[in-house]
Amino acid sequence: MTRFPSRRALAGLALSAALAVGLSARPAAAQTVDEIKKKGVLNVGMLVDFPPFGITSLDGKPDGFDADIAKELAKSLGVRANIVPVTGPNRIPYLLTGQVDVLVASLAVTPERAKQVAFSDPYAGIRIVVYGKVGAAVKEPADLKKFAVGVARASTQDVSLSAIAPEGTNIRRFDDDASAVQALLSGQVDVIGAATPVVGEIEKIAPKGAFDTKITLREQVHGIALRPGQDDLMKAVNAFVAQQAASGALNTTFRKWLNTDLPELKKPAI
Amino acid sequence: MSFTLRFGPVFEAWRELAAGVWLTLQLSASAMLIGLLVAVVCAWAKVFGPRWSGWIVNVYVEVIRNTPFLVQIFFIFFGLPAAGIRLSPDVAALAALVVNVGAYATEIIRAGIQSIHTGQIEAGLALGLRPVQVFRLVIIKPALRAVYPALTSQFILLMLSSSVVSAISADDLTSVANNIQSRTFTSFEVYIVVTLIYLVLSLAFAGAFRAIDRRVFSYPVAR
Repeated sequence: MTRFPSRRALAGLALSAALAVGLSARPAAAQTVDEIKKKGVLNVGMLVDFPPFGITSLDGKPDGFDADIAKELAKSLGVRANIVPVTGPNRIPYLLTGQVDVLVASLAVTPERAKQVAFSDPYAGIRIVVYGKVGAAVKEPADLKKFAVGVARASTQDVSLSAIAPEGTNIRRFDDDASAVQALLSGQVDVIGAATPVVGEIEKIAPKGAFDTKITLREQVHGIALRPGQDDLMKAVNAFVAQQAASGALNTTFRKWLNTDLPELKKPAI
Repeated sequence: MSFTLRFGPVFEAWRELAAGVWLTLQLSASAMLIGLLVAVVCAWAKVFGPRWSGWIVNVYVEVIRNTPFLVQIFFIFFGLPAAGIRLSPDVAALAALVVNVGAYATEIIRAGIQSIHTGQIEAGLALGLRPVQVFRLVIIKPALRAVYPALTSQFILLMLSSSVVSAISADDLTSVANNIQSRTFTSFEVYIVVTLIYLVLSLAFAGAFRAIDRRVFSYPVAR
């Protein structure tokens, strides 16, 4: 006669399975330079939908300014870069839960984020503007109320737009910049909050004279983000940024992707 | 790494969450009702309609069932404006959900209709019922009864897949959750709460479906 496992044995099995899942779900998060060198790989979170900082190349690999920086950073540590594509809303959770070691994800340095992550010295910078249909008259923030405004959820554009847009503005939040831009192009929104590089990309594909820049929301700098407490790694990252800036390599990479010189990078007081 | 759960910011945003739940409920319930109508009509066309109508339904069902929902919703929201049809995010979301669930439910209901014995339909006609009455009383009601469990689980799946509409900026429960987590960085906490809300919604829908089952389909059948 077949003997079925007892109920207690089954419960024990279920419990150990649950424990095993719980244990294996704990990511191999590297905290120090030594741990990364031992692993031989630096897991870098990077946006792939934020041209030209983060794009997907024709052969499907992450590419762009951030990718170049990420690879150089890994090289300076003597390891290989493993680039993990992240999105605007999930990049900080990816870092905090240890799925990646660092973020080179066009993460603008803001006081809110500085409470969650540790920022390196800035390695890039851009302007955030309101951009949209030529016919949409936006001269000052109060005018936004008259239009449907698209923005990528949780982005710096979102935060700065939400801060200045009057109460009751129709802000439509999309999952990424690509969708917000698509909404502008298909006429679902009148204006969007966007960063200057994205505006550059839109002008390449949009009909001439259809859209223009309305107002500047803020100027921002990007920092490489680490988990709080990765002090040793932070030192290495800052040394890397300083070396890149001093040698002119940072500006060369910036010119390669954005056709313009790197703006002055000052880390904001946070 | 230590991790402290902070539920405070999530519960502070209860008004937003409630609004999100309400939109999710409205979208799901409306899509179920309209989708059911679409599916009954399509299933009729497929089984009893002229050959050309069956072909149209086949194309509709196969296109929808073999493409991702996200692509369908993008097509309706971003693509249709090129054809001059501009829908608001909420309407586009509802349209996409109806089109999607309509296709799946068509096949489920077709199966139900085909499970009805020809003799039963002939009996209805022999009793002097008009064709419309035969379809309503003799065919579709027992057909729906036969496929009721499959149909209702498809509907609950619809409610869960409605979370995708946040991609076109419709402010459903998932969209609200994304907004809250991006503002407060309490992603884990928000998604725990929202997962529980979805679970409660699913159970509530399942309960409602059981109540409908008891009221509408609790007549005896000969086996």
